[in-house]
Amino acid sequence: MNPATSISASIIRKTKLTSEIFSLWVKPENTESNPAPGQFYGIKPPDNADLLLRRPISVADTKNDRLRFIIRVTGKGTAALSRLPAGTKIDILGPLGRPAPLVYNKNVLLCGGGVGIAPLFYLARILAPSNRITTIIGVRRAEDLILVNDFRTLGARVLISTEDGKKGIKGILTDLVPRILDKMAEPVIYACGPREMLKKIDEIAGNLPVWGFLEERMGCGTGICYCCGIRKKTGGYLRICREGPVVNLKEVDL
Amino acid sequence: MLAGVKFRNPVIAASGTFGFGLEYRQIAQKLGGIVTKAITLEPRAGNPMPRIAEVCGGIVNSVGLENPGIQRFKTEILPRLRNLKSRLIVNIAGSKTDEFVQIAEMLEEDQITALELNLSCPNVREGGVLLGQNPKLVKNLTSAVRKRTRKLLIVKLTANFVDPAVTARAAEDSGADAVTVINTLFGLVLDENGQPLLGGRTGGLSGPAIKPFALFCVDRVAAAVKIPVIGCGGIMNGQDAYEFLCAGAKMVQVGTANLITPDRSWKIVRELAVICRLKKSVQFKKVRKARCKK
Ligand SMILES: Cc1cc2nc3c(=O)[nH]c(=O)nc-3n(C[C@H](O)[C@H](O)[C@H](O)COP(=O)(O)OP(=O)(O)OC[C@H]3O[C@@H](n4cnc5c(N)ncnc54)[C@H](O)[C@@H]3O)c2cc1C
Ligand SMILES: Cc1cc2nc3c(=O)[nH]c(=O)nc-3n(C[C@H](O)[C@H](O)[C@H](O)COP(=O)(O)O)c2cc1C
Ligand code: FES
Repeated sequence: MNPATSISASIIRKTKLTSEIFSLWVKPENTESNPAPGQFYGIKPPDNADLLLRRPISVADTKNDRLRFIIRVTGKGTAALSRLPAGTKIDILGPLGRPAPLVYNKNVLLCGGGVGIAPLFYLARILAPSNRITTIIGVRRAEDLILVNDFRTLGARVLISTEDGKKGIKGILTDLVPRILDKMAEPVIYACGPREMLKKIDEIAGNLPVWGFLEERMGCGTGICYCCGIRKKTGGYLRICREGPVVNLKEVDL
Repeated sequence: MLAGVKFRNPVIAASGTFGFGLEYRQIAQKLGGIVTKAITLEPRAGNPMPRIAEVCGGIVNSVGLENPGIQRFKTEILPRLRNLKSRLIVNIAGSKTDEFVQIAEMLEEDQITALELNLSCPNVREGGVLLGQNPKLVKNLTSAVRKRTRKLLIVKLTANFVDPAVTARAAEDSGADAVTVINTLFGLVLDENGQPLLGGRTGGLSGPAIKPFALFCVDRVAAAVKIPVIGCGGIMNGQDAYEFLCAGAKMVQVGTANLITPDRSWKIVRELAVICRLKKSVQFKKVRKARCKK
């Protein structure tokens, strides 16, 4: 069940990962939060009339009771968050959403486009002890790459695509997917990134299920405002914040 | 108390901002009541995404009344709302009088305290706002529904291009027990290319940005009608709620604030209680009289 009350969390550590992406380790006060991979938190930007709503941010990792968020600055709210120094308290609501299904003893393929790789890292850490993991990270420029060594430390095989060709193969993530899938027996695929990327991966995967981590503009993040729909193939919408954000892409119209 | 019905406290979760009360039942229980998302005769898919945009001091939404329709509401949702300790108010919407009447007739269950006629949704083109903008239509519709229901009848008014005091009087004259003032205001949000950002193109503005106007409307409507006014628009904390009561509202509805934190309405109940205690159980009528003299 989704929590009804937000909690205060202090920023323990802030690091800049690239020119646009930063990482926050936060420690929630007086609570045990046990998020599962795929879940997210609604992070309230610092008080400001312009920034009323929470920003949905996935859990990128946990350690004891601490949470890690990896955030790309795309607008006012994420920029405001990026300026907060360590020690600052932030107001967070979560964990929210339905977690990614976990598997055992499988060949797992993780596809992360840009900052989309962040939630897949937490998933990889949970899956690593009992599965064989291959990760594809796709970015525009080599300097946008994050978490490559962290995945390797987990024992995952890591492949990289960059559009500038300075690391890994020159091209986009989906160029690599068919080749990798060809060599994997009964793969389980998880993907997070732009809609076009998810769509392409779902096409390439054919009948194989693809667990997509979806994004949409959200009002509440808790299922009460119906602002975050994605069309179901069977008609109507499901709420990404509640029935998602991780969904079987075969069931939705991207 | 609202038109002879007792509410445990004066704070109600506004329509569309608390789902159907299923997600946070534990909070719903503690409020004066909850208003469901709008229900229509037939199921509605709602508008395309995106449905929400953040603006300075508020949000603009274009959800477009996504709901499962009255049939499924009755079979799938109502049973799960049984034994709710607070008042259940069902918000109903439609494009014709006939649709409102049909829905009202189908909502006889004891667990429902009141019907709130949504004559003011900016997200449905064919009906909604047009209904609420025309005092004659408000009159016809209210009296038609009045004849078919014994529930508390609340009419939710719009303040978009119409004087809500006039439509409030129309509602009062045709048997409404209370009016809710106000719904969202028309809003347009453009992207960096000058194109509509919302899937429904235009939407409804809510949140702190509309509070002064909502207060103005409550004050005006309260002076024009004898039936109770439920104040709504930009209430984010106990102080805001208190101001609406001072302006003449009998009860308040909280909308946008619920989206930020689901238990925000409950927090408002507690803050309001503290403020009223500090002011030594103010008599809102007196406050209002004193202000009107100035
Ligand atoms: C379930 C979920 C998980 C996410 N996880 C991450 C993550 O781990 N790391 C990360 O960097 N980003 C993540 N995002 C995207 C992130 O929420 C947006 O980039 C962020 O809200 C933008 O806020 P802003 O104020 O900087 O941008 P602005 O454009 O100024 O924001 C305006 C409004 O639009 C909303 N908005 C804008 N872009 C998006 C978007 N792509 N998705 C959802 N809402 C948006 C904002 O929340 C805000 O309400 C996630 C989104 C979702 C839905
Ligand atoms: C996401 C959203 C959905 C809404 N849906 C409805 C609705 O279905 N019916 C209705 O009468 N009002 C609806 N409203 C209007 C609210 O009930 C309320 O009147 C309005 O938002 C002003 O109050 P606020 O500023 O506290 O949000 C909706 C508002 C929002 C933000
Ligand atoms: S964001 Fe409100 S229902 Fe998903």
